[in-house]
Amino acid sequence: MNFKHKYMFLLPGLLVLLAILIFPIGFTVRLSLSSWDSFYPGLDFIGLENYIRLFTDDSRFWEAFGRLSLLSLTTVFFQYIIGFSLALLVWKEIRFQRLFRVLFLIPMMTTPVIMTVVWRTFFNESLGPVNDFFNLFGMQPLWLSSEILSKFTVVLVEVWQWTPFMFLLLLAGLLSLPKEPYLAASIDGAGPVRTFVYVTFPLMAPISIGAIIIRLIEASKIMDTVYVLTSGGPGTSTETSSFYIFIKGLREFQFGYSAALSITYLVVMIISFTVIAKILVKMMVRGE
Amino acid sequence: MSLFYSTLKYLAVTLWSIFVIAPFLWALTTSFKDFQSVTNGATYIPWVDFEPTLDGWRSLFKSPAQGGVAIVEPFFNSVIVTAAGSGISIILGTLAAYSLSRFTFRVGPIRNGDITFFFISQRIMPPVVLSIPFFIMLGKLGLLDTLFGLILVYVVLLMPIAVWIMVDFFNKVPIEIDETALIDGCNPYQAFFKVVLPNSVPGIIVAGMFCMIFGWTDFFFAFILTFTEVQLLPVAIVALNSSITPWWSLSAAALVSVAPLVVVAFIVERYLSKGNLSGALK
Amino acid sequence: MTLIASNLSIKYERNFHLNDVSFSMSKGEIYTIIGRTLAGKTTLLKTIAGLISPDSGGLAFDGHDFGSIPVWKREIAMVYQQFINYPHLTVYQNVAFPLKQRGIQKIEIHRRVMAALSQVGLGGFGDRKIQALSGGQQQRVALARSLVKEAKIVLLDEPLVNLDYKLREQLREEFRGIFDTKASEDSILIYSSTDPVEAMQLGAQILVMDEGRILQQASAKEIYENPISAKVSQITNDPAMNLFDGRIEDGCIVLSPEIKFNLPSHFNGLPQGDFTFGLRAAAISLDDNGFPFSVELSEISGSETFLHVRHEGLKIVGLLNLVQNFPVGGKVSISFDTKHLYAFARDGRLKSSPYGGLQ
Repeated sequence: MNFKHKYMFLLPGLLVLLAILIFPIGFTVRLSLSSWDSFYPGLDFIGLENYIRLFTDDSRFWEAFGRLSLLSLTTVFFQYIIGFSLALLVWKEIRFQRLFRVLFLIPMMTTPVIMTVVWRTFFNESLGPVNDFFNLFGMQPLWLSSEILSKFTVVLVEVWQWTPFMFLLLLAGLLSLPKEPYLAASIDGAGPVRTFVYVTFPLMAPISIGAIIIRLIEASKIMDTVYVLTSGGPGTSTETSSFYIFIKGLREFQFGYSAALSITYLVVMIISFTVIAKILVKMMVRGE
Repeated sequence: MSLFYSTLKYLAVTLWSIFVIAPFLWALTTSFKDFQSVTNGATYIPWVDFEPTLDGWRSLFKSPAQGGVAIVEPFFNSVIVTAAGSGISIILGTLAAYSLSRFTFRVGPIRNGDITFFFISQRIMPPVVLSIPFFIMLGKLGLLDTLFGLILVYVVLLMPIAVWIMVDFFNKVPIEIDETALIDGCNPYQAFFKVVLPNSVPGIIVAGMFCMIFGWTDFFFAFILTFTEVQLLPVAIVALNSSITPWWSLSAAALVSVAPLVVVAFIVERYLSKGNLSGALK
Repeated sequence: MTLIASNLSIKYERNFHLNDVSFSMSKGEIYTIIGRTLAGKTTLLKTIAGLISPDSGGLAFDGHDFGSIPVWKREIAMVYQQFINYPHLTVYQNVAFPLKQRGIQKIEIHRRVMAALSQVGLGGFGDRKIQALSGGQQQRVALARSLVKEAKIVLLDEPLVNLDYKLREQLREEFRGIFDTKASEDSILIYSSTDPVEAMQLGAQILVMDEGRILQQASAKEIYENPISAKVSQITNDPAMNLFDGRIEDGCIVLSPEIKFNLPSHFNGLPQGDFTFGLRAAAISLDDNGFPFSVELSEISGSETFLHVRHEGLKIVGLLNLVQNFPVGGKVSISFDTKHLYAFARDGRLKSSPYGGLQ
């Protein structure tokens, strides 16, 4: 179908989006070519100096990238496994099915920051219930101030917060699966494990991939949790790319430089996701 | 199903449920505590471990000057911004999604898929990246610290979600129905509003739910782009997050902020069971 | 009132293609388009409807260029092969929709809708929801909606193909009744099908389509008797016409060293040389004085038997008027009813037909 009317449908949304976006993006690009900071405010032009700096002199940025990859891949991995398991558990008949389903959805409906504030009190090393429990064993783990454990805490909070999202997408997928393969499997005498491996999992492949990609995209933006829970610390052990850009921009006021970081980050992310998506799709097609 | 599997099943589900509920329970009991109960170590059960008070809850209505949190106004600000942002995003996003699903666009090498990708890729941007430019832009337009300015920004945040969900949804409605409407005398606008739209209500509700979830739970943009005139709920609450945090007020406020979306959770579950969600496949 | 297409072409764009299509249709006629799947039938119908614009060529309706009139202003109706109705409306509202759209009075709408519903046999169904209806009933609703408009051009795209066998037969009968009245009115009816039997039953005029082209436009009788090419004979016969290569030599038809017979009289004007001969399955019979063939397969169908036989490279399918099981590998004696033999040139064009068509 091809009518002139199609523009009237598309343009309002597209133009609004472009209008609101074009300035920020354009400005960020321009900003990245300047050295605007609190000492030298103003839009000068220094060419690609910022970019050169971040590629050659800024290991902290790339470390943040590394941490981001580690954190987001880890959380998404756990979210997928747990989310899928939960979805499978409440998919078929189970007592209180409705209650469990609603309950499992709730964490993602909460404001991450707000819950993180609560988690902060929860994991408080001297006054929180977690260490109260561990005290019984004579331990007082430093959930928020140890290099390794702080990463763990961040992952834990993220998993609590976002597993429901995976759970939702995967459960919706499970509910939309056709019945026939299952009838065939049960006629063939397949037990629950075999049915899962040979029927459920392959059928869910496209949805799994979609869910993982969507969650990865969202997870890569993780900032709220880090900001509240650990402020990137201790040191830089939970500092992610977004957080680093935030610090450079809104704490140290190096606007020009943080703009360059932003643009680089964006480009890397878009490329990464396109590549990841293509790989996953190929894997899925080959698996057929 | 053997007894073993069954027990395992219920055990797993129960464990996760406890994990889910834990912070809420903690917040609930904490909201009834006072200075004593908090600083003498962790306490759990009211009346047994500590004396409950309503201080935390009362402080929600007092202004900071009176030592309170005053979340009433931020609460309503959040409601307005989320509702308006979601509403606009759904309207514009659904229209755009319809055109991307039904018509062919070709501007040079750019085709439908690219345009859809453009919409959806907005989600890749961390709020950080956009925050400074938005800050400057809204500043120039005099829209900093206003509801309207924030709503505009939320539209950018939420429209991609609406487009993502609705394109997928429209692709599942047979195009022959649109064609029949056209043949029956409707121009494309009428075909959309009279025929396609009434059949898309489930999709719109789902899109609406997701928009509201992501809108209500945003922190960063509200944080950067508003100060005193307009405060949103998450910002107000996080502002309390200093080392002399009154835990009881914090917990009470947190519980209040969570409440509205519990309703949304119920609605989403309804639609889930009816089989109306089927994730986006790109 | 006429619909004239001139050189409609649509280039390759996924499946779409029409290749230099021209035809002329006038009111009061039923036209059936026969073709195999992907022959371009649906594309042609959608082009007539205005849902697709041709890359080149034109459509003229009553002398006016159709191309400048958008879909919603053309007075057309279309019934799809999938049962397409408005899911959110009741049966009554579905049928009333186009009339409401046109702004017709409520009383008039009611009269027309009830008339249409009773015409398709859904008299009391007005209040039902579409989802509660069976496939056949849904298709009747779609049909009623197309009738109620009293459109100038009614397009039906294989409307019965998704119904089960019995229902298809029943509706086909009813169609004739409904559309005979329609045809005598002011409209052009265009019906597409892959089933030659169905097409022959319904159509006064037949258009044979293949690969986006119209191979032949003629009456059902003419297409039966004188298919313009071997390809047309394949598309328009069920079971397919037997086609086999052979030669005409010295007054005889030679299919193989062992199989020769005299030229039938209607082949007298043909020169010697290579030909492709055609013979319908029904013209094959068992005859003790016939040629030896061995049985490859026999299928009993109702009160007839399909017999697939073979002699070296020559494979033939016969439709025998008896019920008998022939063991595979058995020997039978086959004769050809040469009075019904067709001769096509090796490039497919008709050279001689039993009914007097001579190229």
